Order: sequence, then structure tokens, then C-alpha cells
Amino acid sequence: MDLSEANITKQVSKDDAGEGSMARELIKINFCGSTPLLWRTEDLKAARELGFVGTLVGSLARQPRQNTRLGRPLELLLEEGRLMADMERAAVSGLDSKSEDPEVSPAVVEQYYAGLENSFQEQSALALEDRKMTLTRVLTEKQKGEGATKLHINTWHLCEKYPFSSIKCSGTTLEFSKGQEDADSNVRNRLEALDRSFSFPRTAMSVQLCTARAGLAHCPQERQFLTADWPMPQDERCKCRFQVFKDLRRRGFYLTSAGKFGGDYLVYPGDPLRFHAHFIAVCVSMDESMPLCDVLAIARLGSNVKKTVLLCSSGESQDDEREEVVYTSLQWSGMA
Amino acid sequence: MADQNKTAEVKSSNELLSPSELFEARTRSHKIPVRGQKDFLPSGSDQQRERLQQSLQEHWKLVSEERVERLGNLVKAVWIPSDQRVELLSPAGKFWQTMGFSAHGKQCLHPEEALYLMECGNLQVFYKDLPLSIQEGYETFLCSKTMSIHHYKVFGHLKRLGYVVTRFDPSRVPSQYERQLNLAQSRERPGRRLKRKRSLSPPSGHTETQEGATAMGTEEERDGNREEEDMNPMPEDTNPKLKDTNPKPENIHPKPEDTNPDDTQMAAQDDPSTTAEGCRSWWSKGGSPHPDLPGQSQNTGSPRWDFTSISFPDLGSRHQHPRSLASPDPCLLPGAVGSVGPCDVVPWLNRLNLREVRMSRREQERERDRDRYHRDVNLDREVQRCRNWTEYRDLLERRSRRRHRDRPAHLWEGEVTPLHDPSQVCLTGELMDKISVVKSTQLFEGASSLKCSNEWRISFNIYQPDTVAEFKKSTPGKPYSRMCVCSFSGPVPDLQTLKVLAFQSGDVPVTYAVEDHGDISFYCFKNFQIPKDESF
Repeated sequence: MDLSEANITKQVSKDDAGEGSMARELIKINFCGSTPLLWRTEDLKAARELGFVGTLVGSLARQPRQNTRLGRPLELLLEEGRLMADMERAAVSGLDSKSEDPEVSPAVVEQYYAGLENSFQEQSALALEDRKMTLTRVLTEKQKGEGATKLHINTWHLCEKYPFSSIKCSGTTLEFSKGQEDADSNVRNRLEALDRSFSFPRTAMSVQLCTARAGLAHCPQERQFLTADWPMPQDERCKCRFQVFKDLRRRGFYLTSAGKFGGDYLVYPGDPLRFHAHFIAVCVSMDESMPLCDVLAIARLGSNVKKTVLLCSSGESQDDEREEVVYTSLQWSGMA
Repeated sequence: MADQNKTAEVKSSNELLSPSELFEARTRSHKIPVRGQKDFLPSGSDQQRERLQQSLQEHWKLVSEERVERLGNLVKAVWIPSDQRVELLSPAGKFWQTMGFSAHGKQCLHPEEALYLMECGNLQVFYKDLPLSIQEGYETFLCSKTMSIHHYKVFGHLKRLGYVVTRFDPSRVPSQYERQLNLAQSRERPGRRLKRKRSLSPPSGHTETQEGATAMGTEEERDGNREEEDMNPMPEDTNPKLKDTNPKPENIHPKPEDTNPDDTQMAAQDDPSTTAEGCRSWWSKGGSPHPDLPGQSQNTGSPRWDFTSISFPDLGSRHQHPRSLASPDPCLLPGAVGSVGPCDVVPWLNRLNLREVRMSRREQERERDRDRYHRDVNLDREVQRCRNWTEYRDLLERRSRRRHRDRPAHLWEGEVTPLHDPSQVCLTGELMDKISVVKSTQLFEGASSLKCSNEWRISFNIYQPDTVAEFKKSTPGKPYSRMCVCSFSGPVPDLQTLKVLAFQSGDVPVTYAVEDHGDISFYCFKNFQIPKDESF
């Protein structure tokens, strides 16, 4: 533990410095049932900067049908959420889920559809612009190269690239004369023809499927969160878990859930994106007796996955009132 | 200043894309960046910090990406909160093969299916004229207890792996009886057949269903007939026959004086108790009713006839043939019939085949062979000497005691006896079975009588990804597995739960999906038979 102790002081000081410089914006935690979730990228980033990792549980927007990389929302451990709330960095909504359905004013609906229409028009304009640019580029390239090639190959490519195109270029097998003026007028003619005939079908319009709730307009009342409201059952075990979480977090470790390793937390020395976990933390109350075979089983499991098992117990320290956490690790000693 | 800040914040917190961003999103890459090797310990070096920064950047880019879809590729739908379902407004896409259901002539989706399709960018769900974000989808669709976020995480995980996942409906699991008879398919089939081949004439089909149905029909009919027969009281049934066979009772000259002695004698032989006072014979003497009988017959309680006290004539007897039968006791006949004259049985008896059975030589040999090994108990002299059952039982007792004389009485005579008699020879395996005091039980044993708490229920049917092509929602067939969702923080299913859910699922295995903060592990409990070594 010496090594990590040395690490800790450094990490903590860095943490403090970070907190000072950051703007105090509340991280919005939304409850879905009893599960705390973060939805906005900003909140995710802010939480990560505070050292809260969480788990992504949604489908990834870019490739939704796979399980290796997931996307928003980010699920938090109850301890993570509570510590955030303790640090006065979190606002909570959706906990009392039976709030009434807010009425949607017709104005908002109108605004949404107007925005959509506006977006379509702009997209249409952008598409036309894009098409023109491509066409000009293609034509000038043609011009530079040997003049008398058939254009249709390129226009064909163009159509392929933009399958939403409803334009049918007239005269695809047009041939160029070598004269510069001819070519210029040709380009001009073509662009004009494009202007006239171009239409961007509605089915080709892009719309955004929002991940987070759109706008603050119909968001239920958010409030500064009080620790007492946090839905954590206050039994011995949860208290112990929270104390251990808080302490390890204070020492600068990154924590994630360790259900698959039969423990409470996986303890990372740095950001889990770049580092492997070193410890499996198992929370045990100070006065709880534990069967030896359980200890052996979990120690064996830990050594199998090349991690050290930490038995963590919280209790009051002798000299002052502050709570402290006692860590015990188990090691095989070779006596060959 | 504060205001400006606020608008900026609102804009960023909305995460709404501008039209140009939307347009650019058309050409964005669909590749997922590969994560590099992780380091062991933070060394504080610049290189490490740089790499972390880069990873984080990639991570945020990936996570912050919004779904942008073409309008033409989106299916529109509305959320109906009262029915907890999503109704499609435009025709469904390819997903309709494995998801959704029809109700009131509309294509509908369950909330979890709708949410999954929203996450996949195939569906846009409107509520109160506005599209729902994914977040709103989570918060509005996943509020029921049976479809919580835990269930959805398991659902989504399996769907992303390519499985076909449908809701589990216990009423659609064929019962054990149906499974034994292979009725499961036939029950599902008729509806489909009806839909498809309504024009076909019924007898043309040769499916099992129909055969089964007709077989069942005749069975039922037969049952019904038998029931009717059973219901008919004896006299009513026999009377018409008697009348039929006795078309002209006047022409027949009965000789009651001759027949009656025979009759009574016979009755006495059959049942000595008939001679006792108060008992009656169906065939009364001289056709006169017994004085106390009419009153009895008026008692129309449910046991109208005490058949043990009514003796029927034995017409098949080879030795004594009464020439005619006296008329039956009128009190045994229905009121309308009145009295029936004596019955001449001779023409009846002529129709009976009373010849002795003549066996061929082979049959005789067979009979002899059989007799050699099969001794008639009655031929035993000791048995013959027994006068009643008690004596016979005593005899058996005595014999068995003689047989087990070599067994020590202190071992075999008490209430507790050895599990095995060493004088009897048997195989090692049988012996092991015999001496195993604690029998092993199967998962299904006694499961039918157990009741499950409401906490545990099967949520999903799972069909393997490679069956998607042939999958039909109307006839999904036997699932690959069934899913029960639980979590590490909750209790572990106990044996009762395992038994009940396994029983409920029938011949399909039940898998337990344990969800823990996004990690999902699957467990299943199986019968395991410890192999026996019988070689020694």
C-alpha cells in the first residue's frame, strides 16, 4: 500500500486544484426507476473530470447493433451519485417519477415544425451548393485532362455518390470541344440547368433523433439535491460501501462496479480508458465475521485475474472522530 | 452577461444540431476507433498523458455523436400511454418480421421494442405531436415493474447480439399433457389453416390436426353414447327388447308350473340370500307382485335398484335351460308398460352357440405348455382344504415363513428390516439403487404443486440469431431459451423458484440474466446426474 499512498497525496492535490478552476455547473442526474443516469455529453464529461466513470448502457449512435462499445446514457453507481450530491455538484430529477404529464403548449409544437421546415430548406440549399461544387470540380478536371472524353462516366459517379439525387443531367454523353470559351459556357449552362431542375426530396432530409431531452421547456422541475433524499437504503452494508467508495475516491482511484469479479468495486490507478484495474475491493463491516473459505475463494479469484483483493472495512479511528477505512489484502506466501 | 451565458448554456445543453451539421452528418464515418493497449501504472509522463488525452477525445467524440437519420428511412409512430404501446403511423420496416404485433388493425410495438428501434435509428416516436428523445423514451416506456430498465438492458443486449426476443406469455406454453400428446402444434395450426384454405372442403385435408379432431369427435360421441346407456335404468333398456323378441305373447303357451321351480332353484344357487325374507327376484312367481314391493319402488331415491338383491336368470348356463321365463315383477317395470307375460326362451337359446370349443392340436399343445408353468391355485390340495379367505391367507403366511427360515428373526421380523436380502442375487447397479437411502430428485419433481412468489417471473423468449430468416411471429416455434431477469443486488433464486420457473417453461431451458451496472451475465441451472460406476 505504500506505493499507492504516495500516489494519493498527489492525486488529491490535483483534484482540489481542478475543482477550483472549474465552473460550478450542476451535473443533471435523471432517475429511470431507481437507476441514476446521465444523458448529456457535457454532464458525462464533467462527471469524468470529477473522477466518476460510470457505465455506458445505451446503444452507440454510430453503430447501434453491437455490444462492444456502448453509448449514452451513462449509468452511475448509487455511491457515485451520492458523492456527487455530497460535493454539491449534482441536480436530480425524475426520482419521484409519478409527476404529472406536462401539457405541451401548441406554440412549442408550432415552433418545432417551423424549425423542421426551416432546417429542410437550409439542407436543400446546402445540397444544391454541394452539388454545384462537385459538378464544377468535375468539369474543370475534365477540361484539364484530355478534352474529348465522355462525361457520362463522371456524371454516373456523381449520381452514385448522391443517390437522393432527383436530377437527371441532360446530355450525359456530351462531348467537349477544346475551346476554353466553349467549356466555360458549358459549365455555366450546366449549372443553370441544375439550378432549374434540382429538387431535394423530403425523404432525403436528415432529422436528428435527440439523445437527451430536447430543451428545458418540458423538463420537470430540477432542484438542488439534498443528500437526505438520496434513495440509498441506509443499512450497514450500504454505509460501509459508501465509506469505502468515498475513501478510495479521495485517494484518487477510479472505481467501477465489480459484480463480475464477485466484489464491490474494481479499483483503477488511473482512468479506466488507459489503465487496468489493480484491486478488487470487497466491503466487509468491521464486526462482521467472514468464513475462511469465502476469503480463500475470493483471493484465489483475484490471483486468477491478476488483481489484489482488498478487504475494506470502515470504522472510527482511535485518535479522532473521523471515520477511516481499513484495508487488508491477502497474499499467497510461497514456503517452498 | 448572465443572460448570454444562459442562452449559450441552453443551446449546448439541448445538443441540437444545426442544419449544416445535419447535412454534414450524411458523410460521417461509421467506423469505431480501436482502443489501444492499456498501461499498467500511471507514470506521470507526458507521453502517457497525451495518449490518455487522445483516448478521451476519441471517446467523447463517439459518445457525443447524435443520431441523424434520413426521413425516408424513419418509421413514424405514436405513443399510446393508456395501452402502454406504440402505434405505427407509416408501414413498418424489416423489423416487422421479428417484432411488433397487430391490434385493432394497426401495427403496434411493445415499449421495449420501440425504444430499441429508436436507439437503432429506425423509429421516431411522437407524443403530443412532438418527437420523443431517447431519454424521454427511457423515462416514459420503462416505468412498469415488469419492464424496468433492468429488463430493457437485458433485452437490448440480446437484441444487439442478434437474438429474436419476444415477451413471455405463460398461457402460450403448452401444458405437459399437451406436450406429451404433441398437441402443441395442432392447437396453433387450425387458425392458420382456416385463414389460408377457407375455400377447401374439409375432408380434403390430411393433416394431423384434422385427423386428431375427427378422432376426438368420434371419441366424444362414443363417450356420449356410453353415458346415455349408463344413464338408462336397466328395465327400460331391456323391456323393449323383451317385447321385440316376444311379438306375440298370446301365442306362446307358457308353463309356469314347469318353469317356476327351476327358476327359483337357479336363483337359490346363484345367490343363497335370495331365499331370505324381504329379498326379491326380478322374475316373480306367477306374475303376481310381491306385496311389499310397490311401496319400495315408489321410493325414487337415486339408487333405485339394488342390483345385488335382484337376481337375473342365467340364460347361458349349459346345464339348466328353463323353457320359458315368468313375467318380470311389474314393480320393476316402468309404469306405462304394465305387466309383461312370461317369456319363451327356446327360440333365443337356439340362437346361442352352445357348442363346446374344439381346439386344434396346436392349440392344445399350447394350452398344455402354458399349464406346465402356470399352476392353477385351486389344484393345490392345501388350498382346497382352506374354507375361507382367512385360512388361505394363513396358509400363504406359513409358506412364506417356511421359505425365509434361514433369515434371522431379529433382523427380519421387526419393523425395520435390512434393505437387501443377501440370498437374492441382483446386479451391482440395482443393489446400489436399493441401498441408497436418500434418493436424488429431478428439477421438475413436485414442481407442479409449488406456487411461485410474484417476485420471480420469466420475461422473454429467446430465439437464436440464425433462425431469424425463418422466424414467424404467428408460429414462433420452440424458443432456444427463456430469460428471467435479476440483479446482483437482489436475492439469488431459491430452489422453489428454480423449480417453478423450470416447470412453467416446460421443455425449454430457463436462463437467468444477472444485470449489474451494465454488465450482464447469464446463468442457468441444470439437472446434473452424478455418473455411477457399476463396474465393480
